[in-house]
Amino acid sequence: MSDHEEQPANRLRKELPAEVPPSPSASGDGDPGEARPERSGLTGRQRLLKGLWPPRLTRAQLIVALLLFGLGFGLAVQVASNSDSDSALRGARQEDLVRILDELDDRTQRLEDEKQGLEKQRDELENSSDQAEEARKQTLEKERQLGILAGTVAAQGPGITVTIEDTKGTVEADMLLDAIQELRAAGAEAIQVNGVRVVAGTYLADADNSVSVDGNKINAPYRFQVIGEPQDLEPALNIPGGVVQTLEKEQATVTVERSSKIVVDALRAAERPDYARSSSQ
Amino acid sequence: MIAVLGLVVGVVVGLLVRPEVPAAVEPYLPIAVVAALDAVFGGLRAMLDGIFDDKVFVVSFLSNVVVAALIVFLGDKLGVGAQLSTGVVVVLGIRIFSNAAAIRRHVFRA
Repeated sequence: MSDHEEQPANRLRKELPAEVPPSPSASGDGDPGEARPERSGLTGRQRLLKGLWPPRLTRAQLIVALLLFGLGFGLAVQVASNSDSDSALRGARQEDLVRILDELDDRTQRLEDEKQGLEKQRDELENSSDQAEEARKQTLEKERQLGILAGTVAAQGPGITVTIEDTKGTVEADMLLDAIQELRAAGAEAIQVNGVRVVAGTYLADADNSVSVDGNKINAPYRFQVIGEPQDLEPALNIPGGVVQTLEKEQATVTVERSSKIVVDALRAAERPDYARSSSQ
Repeated sequence: MIAVLGLVVGVVVGLLVRPEVPAAVEPYLPIAVVAALDAVFGGLRAMLDGIFDDKVFVVSFLSNVVVAALIVFLGDKLGVGAQLSTGVVVVLGIRIFSNAAAIRRHVFRA
């Protein structure tokens, strides 16, 4: 390779680096290169300075400059291309590339697995939130239905209006209770009488010349607004020996009107039971 | 002096131009650079020794580069490219170190 250690005179290959300090004795061909400085009377340092200054424009200098230009160029190009991050793989050998590719495949696989797991989790969460939403809707719906039964919400729908005129004052609480029970048996879903909502716990009592419903005195005429199937409710009142006939026997007049829209808007406060607690959950 | 200027200009041009290294040359460039560095250090040492000869320098420079590239090429063909280039770099590194030691002895007398 570099043969500058060669002695130009005899072209014998010199031994590799002479690590021993330059010996003053120039005898033999053991260290001819090192012996020269003494002979020419110049030290290496002086020769270096002389070579550097003044610049000499010789053919040798130009050729060496050309070669060094090539070296500097290659060095810079290599350093630049190595420091480019995107071309980090360019100089890599085939086996390295294969290994890197394998690692990337493994990594891709791992990430894919992770992605699937996360997607599954996401689906589960979405499902559960859907289910929660559905349960909430059902609960709301149930609350409305129960509210109609408990009288805490207003209701509207087809039904009948029953008006009982009691000019003689003969109608008593038990007759109205009979009417209510008959209506319930016929499928009445919401009932109010003279602005009082009739619910499960409603009681009726006689109160001098009139009737009290849940403690609210109501006077004739008694006006029942009932939501239910009109075709069921009306015949239930009109059956022979039924509510209407019994009342008419007592000199009261009863009118039953079907309507496609009855509004039951009398409300009742929801009362929290003192002792009974829900046993479901 | 001109030679040092040549080196500096080469580095500057290489950094400024940033040429695309052809794929065929790519594996050999780093080894060639190291081999050329070895030749340059050898030349510097020869100059300090007073035995510098430009013809020898040119031949050794070029042959260094060619042989280094050839070894890597051969190694790639034999499937031991990585190991051979490591070996070449190690050998050249040792030579550069020993040349640098000789230069140091000349320049600093130590």
